[in-house]
Order: sequence, then structure tokens, then C-alpha cells
Amino acid sequence: MSVTPVLDLRGVGKSFGPVQVLHDVALSAYAGEVTALVGDNGAGKSTLVKCLGGILPMDSGDYLFEGRRVRVNSPREAAELGIEIVHQDLALCENLDIVQNMFLGREWRSGLVLDEPAMEELAARTLTGLSVRTIKSVRQPVSSLSGGQRQSVAIARAMLWDSKVVVLDEPTAALGLAQTQQVLEVVRRLADKGRAVVLISHNMNDVFAVADRICAMFLGSTVAQVRASDVTHAQVVELITSGRGADGPSGVPARMNGVGRARRGDEAGPG
Amino acid sequence: MMRAAPSQEEVRRHNLGTLLRHIHLRGSASRAELAEGMGLNRSTIMALTSELTAAGVVREELPRDTPRRAGRPSLVVRPESTRVYVLAFDIGVDRLVAARVGLGGVILERREATRPRVPFDPDELVGALAAFTRQLVRRTDRDAVCVGAGAAFSGTVRRADGMIRYGPNLGAIDVSLGNALSRRLGLGLTVSIGNDANLGALAEHRRGIGAGCTDLIYLHGDVGIGGGIIVGGRLLDGVDGYGGEVGHMVVNPSGRRCACGSRGCLEAEIGEHALLANAGRTGAGRVGRDAVRAMVDAAARGDAAARDALHRAGDWLGLGVANLVNVFNPGMVIFGGTLRDIYLGSAAQVRSRLATSTLAAPRERVKLRTAELGDDTTLVGAAELAFSEVLDDPLEVLARLRTTAAGRLPDRSGSNA
Ligand SMILES: Nc1ncnc2c1ncn2[C@@H]1O[C@H](COP(=O)(O)OP(=O)(O)OP(=O)(O)O)[C@@H](O)[C@H]1O
Ligand SMILES: [Mg+2]
Ligand SMILES: [Zn+2]
Repeated sequence: MSVTPVLDLRGVGKSFGPVQVLHDVALSAYAGEVTALVGDNGAGKSTLVKCLGGILPMDSGDYLFEGRRVRVNSPREAAELGIEIVHQDLALCENLDIVQNMFLGREWRSGLVLDEPAMEELAARTLTGLSVRTIKSVRQPVSSLSGGQRQSVAIARAMLWDSKVVVLDEPTAALGLAQTQQVLEVVRRLADKGRAVVLISHNMNDVFAVADRICAMFLGSTVAQVRASDVTHAQVVELITSGRGADGPSGVPARMNGVGRARRGDEAGPG
Repeated sequence: MMRAAPSQEEVRRHNLGTLLRHIHLRGSASRAELAEGMGLNRSTIMALTSELTAAGVVREELPRDTPRRAGRPSLVVRPESTRVYVLAFDIGVDRLVAARVGLGGVILERREATRPRVPFDPDELVGALAAFTRQLVRRTDRDAVCVGAGAAFSGTVRRADGMIRYGPNLGAIDVSLGNALSRRLGLGLTVSIGNDANLGALAEHRRGIGAGCTDLIYLHGDVGIGGGIIVGGRLLDGVDGYGGEVGHMVVNPSGRRCACGSRGCLEAEIGEHALLANAGRTGAGRVGRDAVRAMVDAAARGDAAARDALHRAGDWLGLGVANLVNVFNPGMVIFGGTLRDIYLGSAAQVRSRLATSTLAAPRERVKLRTAELGDDTTLVGAAELAFSEVLDDPLEVLARLRTTAAGRLPDRSGSNA
């Protein structure tokens, strides 16, 4: 059984002036799965995310969405396809409440007035659907929320707008333990509810806690796309730090090699 | 065994139970949805719902939340959650919980107490639960009816009579808890007892992250490690109900002594005592779930001893899960209780072990998840156990209760039970 990835980038290249930052990058993300994008500082993860979100143009490469070739030249075009990016700095409005944040720019109206009860109910239902239990009222201003709760609201907003792909850039980096655990569970639920989730993280434990696939980048290239259940922590660390599999060619599962190229349809899809 | 074809009466009882179970587990539904879900025609569904309505266990009303739709909305069948309830008890090492849980799985009200780590005293336990029960029952509506009672216990429990055979972490051996509790509550109900992790498995399977997954394993961390295994949608609990004790699966034959007398059980290596001792965090007051959480937190903040202890625990946990994956080929392994914190804190170790110590095929589709019902997993399981009788034969159970002290159901006309 082969499954078409929702998001499929291949052979992506990107230069800033004379400096080539991305070359031959590949990233596939599947519905119902969390794909972790890992790599050392400066490996090119955020640049890749900016390309897929339409913030930066790609110099070369193919951008496939649900199997179709597309061009994404602006964040709006990405949003129209159903791609939501939760940036690390989040861009929630502090002075607005949770409902206002979740519906910002896309408010529901009933006649001329906003349909507050309906928006409120849907906001609450979306948070409950992600098993976010610690938020007391959806009328709380965002400034009164903890870091983990803010992340949850940002993720719920992505959920609410029926996005097909949600990209989270280091959602747990600034959080304490309890909040980190809560966000990891929300990330997992988001995928379990059918989204394709791309999670950027430097924390290998967080990666292994929720990822179905791991895409490892090294010096601007994709060095492996593997199923998370087929690799060890040590192997992934080796990929990140040296761009090679842990025990040399023989110790690396076969499908870890040669993944900069298109190698689709060779793995079983999610169950 | 050959059986005669079921009589019409048997079919009717079966259908009533199936319909009620549907509403109980999946919530309100229209007659059309019920007909579709149960594969029965709409006139049969109508007859069944009117019987259940007359008995006071469901009601039919207009849906609340479809303001925008045009046309006449069809009636939905809802569980009478505040009128039909069970008593659920969760007896953990450090915590006692009692709750009134309504049909449909709603926790209506709860009482909770922390339990000091003193030797187990069945009389005291039964007394405490009876006191909670009095408070819970006193506050119900006059027409509410208690249709069952169930308890989750951290120990091995004989299915036939609820006898606690062994609860090392509570220090209980051969305690006839089910009988004692039934007598003391005096509600005319038998209190069913089950192993907490087995009931946790049931709860997550029916109402949690495992809904829709027919083959799953639930692992529960309290002081010890419990397990519940669901195969083909049914709890695998052995000849007498003692099955699923994965905490006493030996992972390290030359390892730590276990409270059960064996050596190197999973529980001996990653239970609370081992975790805290390995992290150098023993001493007064450092017990229970909070102490385990504090240790995982310390590890996240860079405490080297805590981190090493956590990683070592992840390694053993991974080995235990690897064995289970090879034997059962589960679709999901769920971590609950303190194992939720331990898994999330040591997932790199757990999954590395899985990658190296399982066969590729049975590993392929296993999902590792944390419990969705959080700290209520075992309590919800106890409630499900308590509901099983009324779901099997709603009218018979209600008729029986109506003639006892617990039967406080109003005599509604139209009931043909
Ligand atoms: N606008 C820019 N102009 C020039 N170079 C840039 C620009 N943006 C990024 N770079 C360079 O591209 C490389 C990749 O950066 P990028 O931010 O994508 O890395 P990253 O993988 O996200 O790292 P980190 O984990 O630290 O966030 C770095 O060497 C960076 O200095
Ligand atoms: Mg970055
Ligand atoms: Zn043991």
C-alpha cells in the first residue's frame, strides 16, 4: 500500500546571494502523522519552512501538494492550500481573548454583528477536541495564559481552520516540563485527528515521544527520511552531527540511504 | 455447544442492551443514526427507544446545537445521565476516589482522599468508601437510580467474587473486598472489583485514545506497574481474572528484588521505589506521583542523577514494551498514571529499545500514546465495569432495582418491562 504525502518537497535549492543554504532538500509529510524535522543549528530548517510557507521563494525544486504540483508565492497562498505555520513567536494578540485570537481576520457574522456564541462554542469545542483541559474560559485574554496554553491555542487555531498541514517551529523550546508534556500530547492529537504535522525540534526526546517519521538535515541537505520506529536515538544524533548513519553503511537501515531523491510509495502508510 | 435459535424475547433484550450501549458509549444519536449503526430498521429502533424512554434511561428531544440548518431537525436519543448512574471507586496506593458516574460516562460528582502509606486495613477502607457513598447518594435527585457499583484496585483480583488475592503495594492478601463493600454500602447492589490496569485498558479502549483500536495494551504506573491487554476488542484477563500482570514480567534476571519475591520484574526496575532510589531522591515525604513527577522535572532541568535514572527506566520500559509488541502485535500501547510522565520523559530510550529489540513486522503499526483520560482512566474503567450489568439487560436490572432499596425509579406509565 502506498500513500501520497500531503506535502512533498523535492530537490529544493535556496541561496542568499552567493551562499547556497539549501541544496537537494526533500521533505514529505503525511496525513495523520507527525514528521519531525531535525538538524543542527544552521542546518536550514527554518529556511525550508519559510520556503514551504511562501515567505521565501525557492530557487529550484518541486513543490507537490496532495500529489499536484503547486506554486506557493505568499503566506496567503500557503494558507489557501491549508498550510498553517505556528511560528515560535506565535503571533497571538496579547490583549485579545482566546476566541478573538482563534477567529482573528475570519470572524463569523450573523447579519451585521459577530456571532459570538457560535464562535465561543466552536473555540471551546476545538480545545476540548485536542484534550486541552487546563484552560478555564475561552474568554480569558491570551496575556493570562501560560506558555503551554498559548501554544495550545495557536495549535487549536490551526485545527479550527481545517488546515491539512500544520508546521510547528520549536513549540516546546521555551516551556517547562508540564507545559512541554501538554504540548506534545496536543501535537500528537492534532495528527491523530488527520492533520499532517511537521515538528521542528532540537529535543530528541520530544521527537521520539511523538514522531512517526524523522527528516534529518545536515548542512543544508536532507540526509535521511526514516520511520521513527526504525531508528535509535544514537543513529539520529549521528545523522544530525555528521550527516551519516550511526554504524556506517551496514548499520543503517536500508531505507535511510538515498533519500534526497524521490523514494515514495516504498513504505506502508499509517494504519 | 449447540443452542436453539434465540427467542423473540431474547432478541428484544439483546437489542435493548445494544441500543443502550450505543448511546452510553457514543453519546446522543438520532433514530436514523441508530438504525444505521445497529443495522436494524427504523420501526424496530422506534419500538426500542420508546421502551427505554418509558423505563427512564433515555429521552428523546430536539437537538440543541444545529442553529443554522434549514428544515425540521429530527429527534435525538440522549442518555438520562443524571437519573441513571453508577458508583465508581478507585483504590490506589496513595489515593481513594469515589464518584457518581452517569449513563454516557459523565462524572457527575466525586470525592477524593489521599491515603497515607500505612498498613492496609480493609475495615477502614470499606468505611471510608461507604462514607463517600453516603455523601454522593444523598445529593442525587429523588428519581435517580443507582444501577451498579464498581471498584478499581491496585492488585490481583479474582473475577468470580472480587476477592483481592494480592496487592503488594497496598499490603493486601486474600481480602474479600467485593463482599465487604457490597454489604457495607447496603444499596442492594453487588460491588464488582477489577484490577486497576485492566479497567484502565477498558476505559481507554472505550472512551479514550484507544477508541476504535481492537488490540491494545495499557500500562499503568502507580507505585508498581500494572497492565491491561485487549485483544480483538476483549480484555485478556485469563482463567480467573489475574491476567495482564506485565509489571511482573522479568526483564532483568539479575536485577532488583521485587516485592512479589521475584527478581528483576519490570516493576522492580521502573516502579516508584527503583526510580527514586536510582535518582538518589529517597527520604521523608518523597513518595507517590508528585515525587515521580518532581524527578522527571529535575531530569529535564539537567539534574544528572535524575536524568540517568530516567533514561535507565526508559531503557527497561522499552524492553518490556518490546516483549509485549513481539507477543501481542498490538495496534497501540498506552502509557497511563506515572508512566505517562516517564514515557514522555524517556521516549528516546523507549523507542530506541523498540527499534533494536522487536521484530520489524509486529512493530510496524504500533502506536505509542499517553492516556487520554488522564488521572481518571482507572476510575472511568471502574464505572464501565459497574455499568456492564445494566447494559447487558436494561429492563431486567431496572425492574429488579425497583423492588429494592436502591430502586428509586418513578413508576412511569407505558413501561411494559
Ligand atoms: N536572510 C538570510 N541571509 C543570509 N543567510 C541566511 C539568511 N537566513 C538564514 N541564513 C543562513 O542559512 C543557514 C540556515 O539557517 P536556518 O535558520 O534555516 O537554520 P536552522 O536549521 O533553522 O537553525 P536553528 O536550529 O538554529 O534554528 C544559516 O547558515 C543562516 O545563517
Ligand atoms: Mg530555525
Ligand atoms: Zn514482581
